Amino acid sequence: MIRRIEINYRGVFQKTLARQVASDLVRIAARTGKVGFSNGRYSDAPERNGVPCKYFVFISPDLSEEELEAECGAKLDIDEADISIVLDDTMVKGVEPWAWSGIRPINEKVIEGGFLLVVSNKEVGELMKFIPKKEYPYHLAILPGESSLSGLWVFHDDLTHERVLGAMAGLDPELVSIDAVESYLRERTKDERRVAAAVEGYEWVHHRYKVVSPEEGIDWPHAVPVLPAWTEFREGVAVPAIQRGFRLGPRGQSRSTIFRRGTTKTMRPVIRFDLCRKCTLCWLECPDECFDPTPDGRYDVDYQYCVGCGKCAEVCPVNECIVMVDELRFDDDSSPWEFWNRDPQGYVDWAEEKKGAMRQKPLVVTGAGPVVTAPGQRVPARGVHDMTDQEVSR
Amino acid sequence: MTHTLTATGNAYVSEELLTGCQAVAQGVRLADVDVIAAYPIRPYTEVMDLISKIIADGRLTAEYIIADSEHGQFEIVKHASSVGARAFAGSSGTGWLYGFEALAVTATDRLPVLFLVGNRALDDPGAFGVEHNDALAVRDLGWLLCWVTTPQEALEHVLIGYRVAEDRRVQMPMALAMDGAFLTHSQHIVRIPSVEAARKFLPPYDLGDRRLHPDNPISIAPQVNEDWVMEIRRQNWEAARRAPQVIAEAYREFDAIFGTDYASSPFFTEFMTEDAEVVLVGLGTVAAPARTAVRRLREKGERVGYVGLRWFRPFPTVPLRECLRRFQAVGVIDRDFAHGSPDDGGILLHEIRSCLYPAAERPAVVNFIIGLGGRDISIADCQRMFDLTRQAVGAAGGDGLVRWIGVRE
Repeated sequence: MIRRIEINYRGVFQKTLARQVASDLVRIAARTGKVGFSNGRYSDAPERNGVPCKYFVFISPDLSEEELEAECGAKLDIDEADISIVLDDTMVKGVEPWAWSGIRPINEKVIEGGFLLVVSNKEVGELMKFIPKKEYPYHLAILPGESSLSGLWVFHDDLTHERVLGAMAGLDPELVSIDAVESYLRERTKDERRVAAAVEGYEWVHHRYKVVSPEEGIDWPHAVPVLPAWTEFREGVAVPAIQRGFRLGPRGQSRSTIFRRGTTKTMRPVIRFDLCRKCTLCWLECPDECFDPTPDGRYDVDYQYCVGCGKCAEVCPVNECIVMVDELRFDDDSSPWEFWNRDPQGYVDWAEEKKGAMRQKPLVVTGAGPVVTAPGQRVPARGVHDMTDQEVSR
Repeated sequence: MTHTLTATGNAYVSEELLTGCQAVAQGVRLADVDVIAAYPIRPYTEVMDLISKIIADGRLTAEYIIADSEHGQFEIVKHASSVGARAFAGSSGTGWLYGFEALAVTATDRLPVLFLVGNRALDDPGAFGVEHNDALAVRDLGWLLCWVTTPQEALEHVLIGYRVAEDRRVQMPMALAMDGAFLTHSQHIVRIPSVEAARKFLPPYDLGDRRLHPDNPISIAPQVNEDWVMEIRRQNWEAARRAPQVIAEAYREFDAIFGTDYASSPFFTEFMTEDAEVVLVGLGTVAAPARTAVRRLREKGERVGYVGLRWFRPFPTVPLRECLRRFQAVGVIDRDFAHGSPDDGGILLHEIRSCLYPAAERPAVVNFIIGLGGRDISIADCQRMFDLTRQAVGAAGGDGLVRWIGVRE
């Protein structure tokens, strides 16, 4: 018997977290007489900021390590998962880790009766708006919490790691019992807060997951590319480049169709075109050339290609003109400029509603306003003094 | 000398005394090369001296770029080739290896640059003499690899090399190897082809839809994952498989224009092998003492012969197997070494034994490591190698024996 677990995480931002969860599942399995090992999906390297990546954990109570390795270890991606963990809920919109992969469903690997465990503060309905149907029933479990994002060599120690371990025990006690998790964490960390976090995760999901029936979910809009045979593509490692092309207006610039990278983002820029002063900075500074010049001298954004880096919001000199907003609050990638042109007031109302209550405070400055890193603490924008609106408008 | 008459007039227009390097430079002129990148290292350097003079004299219009190193040198011609320029470079010994990364990608990118490799021992110790390990280092990377033995062959194989390398069925880089000192610096009278005949033989370089140009937007060598690499390697293998046919075609046409005789045995030459019992096989200028030894031993009634391998890549597996299987014993001459390899033999030994293995009846194969670092190989050495090879016939333990010849004991 083999249990296959995949951990979907945001490249770089959650690498340490994903690896810690994977490592501890192996260690706990070993303490309880099972055999296990873990690996990262090698093709995910180099992980660019936010690119969807995976760690795998394989555990068996009865196979030898070599047999388990032979069954699971030599594969770059797995065919099926008993449990798919999702450490950032915006990945439910699909994952595109590299070119020619296509945008794949987050539940693609989940087996019949298996689990999709998502760390999220969203409700089931908000997630199921994006997750495709499967041919068989499986389970969706939500572990409440923010996406724990940090960096490659730093670890945001917010107890997400322990809560996920506890949640695993809640979903599959045969794989790992909560007693084993508790004793492991107590022994290793000598920190009762960590034990308590695991128990919290366990209690939250234990018997509180939802059965997803085959009718539930969306029809997946993204095709999986078919890779050509060796006789079917140009020799000399020469591939067609993006055809040059430019016209004013939404999606007027030529872009690659085989790797859009839009599933990289956790937030997207919302633009108040009515505030735009046509300074060109968003268009110039966007590292992924996502902005399209429009006939009125403004800049539309193609969300299919936006990776959510926040650079545009950082350089925009106008307060509240470009603001980064939680990606899950958006249903599609249609042109915001077209919406604004069609219905200026409707668009402004919509944009403010999106920015509204759920607005996150990114670590980048929006407009000339201050960066808020913690309640009451202000950091000057771009290392200079806070500018007032009057200064900005000069 | 005899001029061969063709529809365009004399195929050869003059005779000049040229070293191997200078002959290649004349070949570069006749091939109308567009971009040359130079960086000095003995013994190949002289080719660049003469090319620069040819350009200065107004006999060739080309970009002549002095690089910062061999790596830069090889990258320059690789990129020039990708935009549609016929490109030439060269090197020797450790200089060749210094640019090795560029050599690997030039092959995988299938860019038909022609390189002269003036074979030189790999330092340390610093040594200028010939050893074949430098050129042989690219043998597994997707290169055309060919040894010439005279300045005349050297000049002609610049034209033949470009013709084969640039053929749409092939498009692989070409290393034209010649023994350092013994050929790079050895002067012989060379017949110089006419520009018209050279143009007739060698069509303009045309990369087709692989040419990097604003009107043909492509991307060369993007990062790919494991889901592409096997297919790309498979394509490159297929090109190498098509190369022998293209080489044979090129020789037939060259013979027709220039009156040479390459096509009758395109990949290796046989000397007095018709009724031979024992043969030596070698690369490069060892042909001269070996063939002389054959003549002298024949005078004594010994049935010996010499097989000179010209094309090492693609290796002429089937024709060479059919050739060698009929002898009683084969002595393989390696002017290289393969430390720690099977039987501690040379590279050519391993290739030839592997080539012969499927033959139902195989000759005994013995190996000679000789002439390393440019040490001379005498007629007497070759006679001794024939004797030692003959001793392997029917001798227990004789097959597979590796001997060092000419080392101070």
